[in-house]
Amino acid sequence: MQTVTLVPKEQFKISVEAETIKPDNFAGKSADEIGALVAYEGNAPRPLSELFDIKVDGSADAADDVKIEINGNVNRVKRIGEAMTAGLIMINGDVDMRCGAKMKGGTITIKGNADSWVGQEMTGGEINVQGDANYYVGAGYRGEACGMRGGKITVFGNANDFVGEHMCGGEIIIKGNAGIMPGVSNKGGKIVIEGDTDMPGSEMTKGTIIVKGTVKDLMPVYQREGIEAIDGVEFTKYVGDVVVDGVGELFVK
Amino acid sequence: MSEMLIKNATVYDPINNINGDMMDIAVKDGKIVDSVGGSAQTIDAGGRLVYPGGVDAHTHIAGSKVNVGRIMRPDDSRLNNKPRTKVTRPRTGYTVPNVYSMGYGYAEMGYTTAFEAAVPILKARHTHEELEEIPIIDKAGLTLFGSNWMVMDAIREDDLDRLAAYVAWGLLASRGWGIKIVNPGGGEAWGFGKNVSGLDDPVPNFEVTPRQIVKQLAEANEKLNLPHSIHLHCNNLGKPGNYETTLATFDVCKDIKSKRDRQSLHVTHVQFNAWGGNHWGDFESKSEPIADYLNKNDFLTIDMGQLVFGSATTMTADGPVQYANARLLKARWSNGDVELEDSSGVTPLEYHPQSYIHGIMWAIGLELALLTKDPWQVLMTTDHPNGGPYVNYPMVMTMLMSQKRREKEMAKIAELTFERTSIAGIDRELDWYDIAIKTRAAHAKVQGIIELGKGHLGVGADADIAIYDIKPDETDATMEFDKVEAAFRHAAYTIKGGEIVVKDGEITAVPKGRTYWVKATAPADGHERMMEDLKMKFKKYYSVNMANYMVQDEYVEHPVVFETGYQ
Repeated sequence: MQTVTLVPKEQFKISVEAETIKPDNFAGKSADEIGALVAYEGNAPRPLSELFDIKVDGSADAADDVKIEINGNVNRVKRIGEAMTAGLIMINGDVDMRCGAKMKGGTITIKGNADSWVGQEMTGGEINVQGDANYYVGAGYRGEACGMRGGKITVFGNANDFVGEHMCGGEIIIKGNAGIMPGVSNKGGKIVIEGDTDMPGSEMTKGTIIVKGTVKDLMPVYQREGIEAIDGVEFTKYVGDVVVDGVGELFVK
Repeated sequence: MSEMLIKNATVYDPINNINGDMMDIAVKDGKIVDSVGGSAQTIDAGGRLVYPGGVDAHTHIAGSKVNVGRIMRPDDSRLNNKPRTKVTRPRTGYTVPNVYSMGYGYAEMGYTTAFEAAVPILKARHTHEELEEIPIIDKAGLTLFGSNWMVMDAIREDDLDRLAAYVAWGLLASRGWGIKIVNPGGGEAWGFGKNVSGLDDPVPNFEVTPRQIVKQLAEANEKLNLPHSIHLHCNNLGKPGNYETTLATFDVCKDIKSKRDRQSLHVTHVQFNAWGGNHWGDFESKSEPIADYLNKNDFLTIDMGQLVFGSATTMTADGPVQYANARLLKARWSNGDVELEDSSGVTPLEYHPQSYIHGIMWAIGLELALLTKDPWQVLMTTDHPNGGPYVNYPMVMTMLMSQKRREKEMAKIAELTFERTSIAGIDRELDWYDIAIKTRAAHAKVQGIIELGKGHLGVGADADIAIYDIKPDETDATMEFDKVEAAFRHAAYTIKGGEIVVKDGEITAVPKGRTYWVKATAPADGHERMMEDLKMKFKKYYSVNMANYMVQDEYVEHPVVFETGYQ
């Protein structure tokens, strides 16, 4: 087991693009070697050693044996864990946009809040956000036909608008409330919102959305299919979006 | 400028009948010369493959529809990205790369010249602004005439001199190279939500037919003695069964005599209109009758429009076909209106090998190139970015050179493809000389730029030279296709106008390229009638004032003007 601890040297003023921070890049490397990897602060390439204090305990042959612990505020550090395939990242604080984007495997736990596009286009693995998540949880980036395709995202707090936009697979669980239009243009996958939300599932062609709280405004593009029980609780089942010949399922209490 | 000597080159230069000869090439002041002095910079090619710089006679690299493609596809700008270097700017995009990447990508493959294939007159300023910013390569734009009100009015009144005068004005106004015709008449019909269905379907409100538009523009083209022939995108493109329209369109120009040593008709991206069947269910290849026609007639040339699996952004002045595509595929789409001229459409799509429709389209492009006997008659293109991005040219070259390479691709493709095409039974494999024809020599001939020193390595030609890291006499292209593709993808050297712009596949210099355009003298009496009509149309129908409109010389900073006259 290799544990890599990163502590930011300062509160970054300009956002840092740090897709290099992932177990795949750190496995088996010394603190110096990890420090030589490059992240971008604005448009300037900076070695990680200039941005973080780096400590390495133990060693590992492969990414699945690596744990990265980030202590301190990285709310201006983007793309942590992008495209990671295995291992563990623990962020003890808030994190900036696109954390775990295109992730294929492994686990990311965020103790604080995550900014927009957490788990963007991920295909596997697991992300747990213990605080709140901002816009586009598990969505596709601008213009992408498919957002999340696999894996699981759990947000223990609230999420903002457009949860799982263009989702094609996988699972998103929001324990709190979600903003408007979760599951917009979905083509697959499952979204569970335990709190309240607004206008779920517009333009959805496939997939499932379950809302356990209140739906403030149900789009008039869903056909009522009757009552169905999920885990012993009765929900009204709707099918749509009929405007786009959708067969997505929407369950509302 | 400096002198340069390329030693021990295995040269293929079809325009000068050089077929794999080991020779030296001398360069002085950006031109090929007989010999240079002892102090010249020397490159030892060491027997490696040397071609003239590549020429792309049909591509979409600049102008409003390319830019619309960029706006519509933020997802595309995340592909194929490369950070800036000391000499290059940051590069983004795969199907619609950013402006700089366009030039770098061509240069890396040993290409030095490209023709933007569709410039609406009213959008020509923007086109030239982008062309000017595309580094390294030389460029030209083909001006759209196929659905313009001015064209159709002159044709209805059977006034060939007025038509020729308008073409001359249009080329001047757009700083264009030649006549492009897209879905003749259909662009105008599309303004009313309609299309034309074939050669004899009258255009609404104008009562002229596509047949008349093609024939009279071809005649005007010869009257003006233009370097290129008409450049035609047929009616019914993108519809099953359209090969009959295509063959009938060929026949329209059969009796047009070319004034120059070139074809009198160039039909573009024929892959998209060599289709049989009545609908998508019985869709099949009809490349055989098309190739058969080419084998029997030498007045015309075509380009392949080869499909490449993966992401593409289709863009054409054929608005109605794009609308149909977008509805069929539930894809994004955008329509570019250029007032009384043509109207374009842009639709992104994805070509899947497991879709037999896409598989058949893939096969048709290769069939056209392989079934047509004369390599000079079929140019290699992908109709970038319609069939796929131009960066895939090296792959297409290896497909033409190696049956094994085609078989490897066929293994991925839906089986139904092979019942509806003949590609699996074709064993023709092109050689290094044929590829030189298909990727540079024939392009230069078709576009009429040989006399400008393009597409060949004869004395006096531009020193546009590509050296590839492969030795033709030691390489079996039919087996070692991966090696060949890698070599074509990253030229060992690309020399543009005597300057090394690529070394070992990396851009080393970014000179500005030139823009070619044609200044044609119009027939005097036709010119007067035409100007009267044009002024009236600008006043009555355009939202742009004619006095404010024309591509001024400021927009074309590195021009090469080709002067020709009415005869």
